[in-house]
Amino acid sequence: MQVTETLKDGLKREYEIIVTAAELEAKVNEKLAEAQPEVEMKGFRKGKVPMALLKKQFGPRILGEAMQESVDGAMNQHFETTGDRPALQPQVTMVDGETWKEGDDVKVKMAYEALPEIPELDMSGVKLERLVAKADDAAIDEALASLAETVQDFADRKKGTKSKDGDQVVIDFVGKVDGEAFEGGSAEDYPLVLGSGSFIPGFEEQLVGVKAGEEKAVTVNFPDEYGAAHLAGKEAVFDCTVKAVKEPKAAAIDDELAKKFGAEDLAALKGQIAERLEAEYAGAARAIVKRGLLDALDGLVKFDLPPSLVEAEANQIAHQLWHEENPDVHDHNHDKIEPTDEHNKLAERRVRLGLLLAETGRKAEIEVTDAEMTQAVMAQARQYPGQERQFFEFIQQNAQMQQQLRAPIFEDKVVDHILGMAAVTDKEVSKDDLQKAVEALDEE
Amino acid sequence: MSAKAEHYDVIRKPIITEKATMVSENGAVVFEVAMDSNKPEIKQAVEALFGVKVKAVNTTITKGKTKRFRGQPGKRRDVKKAYVTLEEGNTIDVTTGL
Repeated sequence: MQVTETLKDGLKREYEIIVTAAELEAKVNEKLAEAQPEVEMKGFRKGKVPMALLKKQFGPRILGEAMQESVDGAMNQHFETTGDRPALQPQVTMVDGETWKEGDDVKVKMAYEALPEIPELDMSGVKLERLVAKADDAAIDEALASLAETVQDFADRKKGTKSKDGDQVVIDFVGKVDGEAFEGGSAEDYPLVLGSGSFIPGFEEQLVGVKAGEEKAVTVNFPDEYGAAHLAGKEAVFDCTVKAVKEPKAAAIDDELAKKFGAEDLAALKGQIAERLEAEYAGAARAIVKRGLLDALDGLVKFDLPPSLVEAEANQIAHQLWHEENPDVHDHNHDKIEPTDEHNKLAERRVRLGLLLAETGRKAEIEVTDAEMTQAVMAQARQYPGQERQFFEFIQQNAQMQQQLRAPIFEDKVVDHILGMAAVTDKEVSKDDLQKAVEALDEE
Repeated sequence: MSAKAEHYDVIRKPIITEKATMVSENGAVVFEVAMDSNKPEIKQAVEALFGVKVKAVNTTITKGKTKRFRGQPGKRRDVKKAYVTLEEGNTIDVTTGL
């Protein structure tokens, strides 16, 4: 086995591996000898098949295997001795692959891009600010108010008051098409919220301004694309009797409300809200710190990047952005999207940080435990109610999916690890400032 | 000698077994041959088909076993085998076929 370097340019490497015919032959014989005691063939007792016959029968198959093995072995050995790590799967091609026949030396060309040497991180110089926002009373009250709105109550208006948009009217109605009542077109004591859009267009608008006790004929046209075919596009008259007009009233913020949301009393509900808000703030703050950290890292280290990785990333970014701009195209039958300089720059940053994080994680021996993995899978599975089982099985069989789930967990852990090394100071800010910071982050 | 159609009828197939590989060390090959063939015919056929010189032909008839199938006695067919010894310097690769 002979390995010669033919190209070394930046991170690009090319090697030629030569496996001589004799070596290959020896390998084949060795494999056959190993298998011989186990071979059973008609006319022979087990393990008594002569070598010559074995070779004739299984030789070509074993030859391919042996070739693969020796080339792989050579590659692994090469990586071990040089300490290179390929960025992508090395490209292996056989020189004179077409004309090769048994008994020839095997010449293989291997091309790959080595991963760059990643310098040791010196995190002591990195100073980061972590924004800490407390949930203040105003925010809690606001959240409470919006909660209360969702459990709206309706109270009777004064007698004779006309209904307004947003009010609830209780009506009996009978719908008629061409003077005849149709099925499903009538109801009694139906509570209808005006402006809610739950009835066909035009219906609710005509009930604005009615009083309790009033009778009104509402004439509407069924839309052309109405669900029931025999009604679509027809004109209908609904004879409505208004029984009551009710105005919306926000639910009172009291213990009663708290019980509706499963809390013991109002104070407990407030506590829950505060907790949730703070968790939300912490999440936002974390995103900001992470961004700051990545920015700092980006500026801190410089190393060569494997061009193929950058190119792949840039293409992907360009592709994704293109799809976002053209949301009506869902398939991949469009022309190749050429990445712009901007995409390339973004890709470079992503690749650099990706490599850096991966390397740091590797050095710090950060691993994603099974428990964390299971948790992530569970969280994902919840998005498919009723199909959790299938989802689990799908994940178990799909290594790529697993990787996709594992990557963010790994990244988070590495970021935590780096944050532990860097100088992080807490800074108390108000909720608005935090929001501004998040918005600034999104705009970039 | 050119090969004729009847030569193909004489020789059915090579027999590849442990015993056959053992005798091949002494320059012999084993064939299953037609029941009604005789030694001169076999010699002629082998020489014509494989292009070798034959030193001697020994034949043997292996009787088929009597077997019972659903209680009915039956008999497997008999097989005629020919041990063909080749002249020195001649070989036949039995596994490649004709």
